[in-house]
Amino acid sequence: MESNAGTTETRSNVTVPDGGEVAAFESLQFTDEIHRLISAPATDNASSFTALLELPATQVVELLHSPESVKLIVASAPNVEDFKGSFHFPSNTGLIQKDARFSVFSGEGNNKNEKSNSPEMTSKNSSANLEKAVKSEPAETASSLPLVSDPTVENRNIKRKDREKKVKGSTKKSKTATNERLEDAEKLPYVHVRARRGQATDSHSLAERARREKINARMKLLQELVPGCNKISGTALVLDEIINHVQSLQRQVEFLSMRLATVNPRIDFNLDSLFTPESGSTMDGGNFPSLVTPLMWPDVQVNGYRQQFQHQWHFDTLKQPIWGREEVCNNYVTLENSLLSYDSSANSATLHANQLKMEL
Amino acid sequence: MMNTPQQVKNPSTSLKSRFITRFLGALTKINAEDPISSPSPTRIFQRYRRIKVASNKSMAYSVRSRRIWSRAMLSRFRSRRSAFSGRRSSVKTTNCTTINVTINENKTAKGGLDMQTDELRELVPGGEAMDVCNLLDETAHYIKCLTTQVQVMRKIVDFCHLSK
Repeated sequence: MESNAGTTETRSNVTVPDGGEVAAFESLQFTDEIHRLISAPATDNASSFTALLELPATQVVELLHSPESVKLIVASAPNVEDFKGSFHFPSNTGLIQKDARFSVFSGEGNNKNEKSNSPEMTSKNSSANLEKAVKSEPAETASSLPLVSDPTVENRNIKRKDREKKVKGSTKKSKTATNERLEDAEKLPYVHVRARRGQATDSHSLAERARREKINARMKLLQELVPGCNKISGTALVLDEIINHVQSLQRQVEFLSMRLATVNPRIDFNLDSLFTPESGSTMDGGNFPSLVTPLMWPDVQVNGYRQQFQHQWHFDTLKQPIWGREEVCNNYVTLENSLLSYDSSANSATLHANQLKMEL
Repeated sequence: MMNTPQQVKNPSTSLKSRFITRFLGALTKINAEDPISSPSPTRIFQRYRRIKVASNKSMAYSVRSRRIWSRAMLSRFRSRRSAFSGRRSSVKTTNCTTINVTINENKTAKGGLDMQTDELRELVPGGEAMDVCNLLDETAHYIKCLTTQVQVMRKIVDFCHLSK
């Protein structure tokens, strides 16, 4: 029947050489727990290791911290009883590696059933040992520790998301401190996950961390968008670059609209044919190759012109928001005059175009 | 990313093409209204302003309400228009007051970058009412749209010069 099936299933997962002795410990009084173990994945969306086991928090932390649990597999079952009494947290460098492996394992265990997790685990020996140890542990330790009530289970379900974040991040940490683990133990039964090394475990810092990671991801995207930002390191400088880029783009729009205002009268807009081939073109202006060649000689002149331009625009555009303000007439009248004088000759027209290309 | 603003959508309805059609329509309208060859600076200045507004409006309309910055820009245009017609417009201030709390939170979190985020907020339309996360998102999209705008306008100008 079901209870027997439950016990047999756990037994098959536990490939202990002394299988018979282990079975002796798994008396029928523990089948309820095993039931919960197996039916647990149906309730929540799985993912972490501890959620699958539906263990009380205390047990999980202790089990994971115990080196003897690994020895359980190799040695015979009576070692378990020795372990039962000692729930302390040894500071072992070996545990660090186990922690890393454990976290990696539970990171992989997303959305999988408990049973399907076991084939994965066998690929990693120590984590496999851990799993077997933990599975056999509840049978032994359930008698010594109280069973969990539902509210704490629900709390765990709510905290699942935080747990995933923590677990996935723990592989990055390298600092070791037993104090952190002791903190975890003291905060039980609400904190039931391994936190990152050297990090606090309260919900505020978790949310902070998540926020920071989001912001960093978006900064990376922005760095890709803005040319020349990849080499810069440091958020402040990157933000400065981004701000400069946005400002220059806005100024370019204004400049181009100014040019359109002066140039426009002479055209009629039969431009559909112009734009359909351009829909896939790049920013290099590949449609106008003839304008690229005269770049050589007007270099100095163009730079001077641009500086004059920027000098005139600097006061207006940098310090004030561009959208809502009323423009000052004086600056733009002089600009328009210079534009008009430039537009009078064909050479200056190419000069304009070259300057625009150089701006980018 | 800069080369293909229409990467997700059908090419015939891409952001770029929408902007182009709208902007060209606005330009023809502006050309039709003004007496064509009037060299006086004030006239040209007026045209410049109109063209600039038309350009930004076309871009905002091409993005519709999908982005916070475009919504802010459109509401700004509408409020400006209603202000011209004599009615009161208090649209701008309503968003800012409720979001001050989150802005303060952000300041405590990223203490050293307040200046830059404030500057960015000034640059991006509607930036005052955004938290840092959304601000960066909006900035990225805004940069994309601005580059499209610049690209198209430049090509128009070059075309005009060529056809002289």
